[in-house]
Amino acid sequence: MKSEYKVQLVDKRVLGETCAVLTFSCPEISKEARPGQFINLSCSRFLKRPFGVMCTDEEKGTFSIGVRKVGKGTEDILASEVGEEFTVLGPLGNGFCFDGIKRLLLVGGGTGIFPIYFAACYAGKLGIPVTVVNGYRSKCDAFLYDDFSKVTKDFYVTTDSGDLGVKGTVMASLEELDDSLLNDATCLVVGPGIMMQKVSEWAKQKGISCYVSLEQRMACGIGACLVCVCKIKAEQEGKEFVHKRCCKDGPVFRAEEVIW
Amino acid sequence: MSISVRVGKVKLKNPIILASGTCGFGRELAEYMDLSKLGALSSKGLTLLPRDGNKGVRVAETPSGMLNCVGLQNPGVDAFLETELDYMVQTGAGVVVNVAGHSDEDYLAMVEKLDPYKDKIDALELNFSCPNVKEGCMVIGSSPKAIQSLVSRLRKLTDLPIWVKLTPNVTSIAETAKGAEAGGADAIVAINTMLGMAIDIRTRRPILHNNTGGLSGPCVKPVALRMVHEIYDAVNIPVVGCGGISTYEDVLEFMIAGASAVELGTISLVHPTRPVEIVEDLEKYVEQNKLEGLASLTGTLEMWR
Repeated sequence: MKSEYKVQLVDKRVLGETCAVLTFSCPEISKEARPGQFINLSCSRFLKRPFGVMCTDEEKGTFSIGVRKVGKGTEDILASEVGEEFTVLGPLGNGFCFDGIKRLLLVGGGTGIFPIYFAACYAGKLGIPVTVVNGYRSKCDAFLYDDFSKVTKDFYVTTDSGDLGVKGTVMASLEELDDSLLNDATCLVVGPGIMMQKVSEWAKQKGISCYVSLEQRMACGIGACLVCVCKIKAEQEGKEFVHKRCCKDGPVFRAEEVIW
Repeated sequence: MSISVRVGKVKLKNPIILASGTCGFGRELAEYMDLSKLGALSSKGLTLLPRDGNKGVRVAETPSGMLNCVGLQNPGVDAFLETELDYMVQTGAGVVVNVAGHSDEDYLAMVEKLDPYKDKIDALELNFSCPNVKEGCMVIGSSPKAIQSLVSRLRKLTDLPIWVKLTPNVTSIAETAKGAEAGGADAIVAINTMLGMAIDIRTRRPILHNNTGGLSGPCVKPVALRMVHEIYDAVNIPVVGCGGISTYEDVLEFMIAGASAVELGTISLVHPTRPVEIVEDLEKYVEQNKLEGLASLTGTLEMWR
């Protein structure tokens, strides 16, 4: 039987004014969580807030998430101090499946870089060659830059401002990638909707199979309330789409199934 | 010592029922708790044909609660009978089937389909109160006469207990409850969600893409309690209280106000194990206070004169 865990904030690594990596003690989640899965964390407000898992440390029995200020809930979570207690549900949702993956192309943007980091580390452990392309606004919010650099030598960065890496969106960098990094590759994109859509279209053209991690306003996170649905192409004839739950049927979906 | 209760002829092992729309058909919450420990589950609101529900943003948080505009996304009554009813039965909790129509004919057709399964169903719950679908439902639920007329037609189709779930979005819920009683309902369930709105000041648009949605959670509890008490005073059939229940104390308040049993659900969207914890807390309460049971609490409220 699954539980709601009481967890303690054990580490807080501030990444600029509105962002931080928070680490919580929870042996169960640290053991079970896989890249692409998320947790639902209590805050000062009524509903919990969903966050993609950024990494786990089974030895210490901890897991980490990246939090960026969006509203009051995330603001209060960011203001909390080491030692504070939270309740958490997780790991939730279907993560990314690594079976049969020969080469991985990871594309991250916004808070999507946090789950992308987990996927990069996990693939590294499995011996799967990884390329990471992250899109940032500018150098000052190029979070986890050093961390990604340690995980793979094939780490590329784009910034809107152009003060780090290639100027432009992740598309600018993807177009430049050497074919050797794309042969037999599978792509996973986590980021803003428009970015995931553009990368999926590019991957389709290149004949690369592509997965995306969808996000919607969520309540329960366990599939009961049906508020976080997304449009997925219907298999049934004569029907255009079905509403699937981001939390339970996703959040990771095959890009070609998604109706943007 | 027992915390069993009765809602008319329906016997429940305890007064805790998971409210329609907050527990699907039980599958998801079964991963978090032993559903057999609950009084009953009320199914996701069923319609005659499958529904995809509303598009776009369906939830907005509020102080101590939430607005939703799911719009009755459900597989339809036929698929329910084929794949979900037996699942609900095997959970070991009582089975309440919630039905929502766009017209009188929809309700008649659904009750005709469900009646042959009466051995597997403890009660039918008529949803006359969903605020998130454009046609039917709440239109019927706002008129005591329309409720009476439809319930009396359905009464002739089935011996299954008929519970009528009422909307709070009316001038007098006592009047709509009386309409249901006059039509032959076995119990009243109150309240469904309250119609509300949330606005994004940046875009100057409603957050919900249906513009409005149903408010639920602890914020509606005081209104629900008041309405349950009004209904209890107005009719002679049992009342199932619903609205913002989050603790065993809330359950006791609703029972004292006049409820024979309660439904809850928004709280299990935040704490999925809470319903069984409330059952355990109620058992402890009865034991510690050396009560014979809970049923005797119903309607024991003494008003100030």
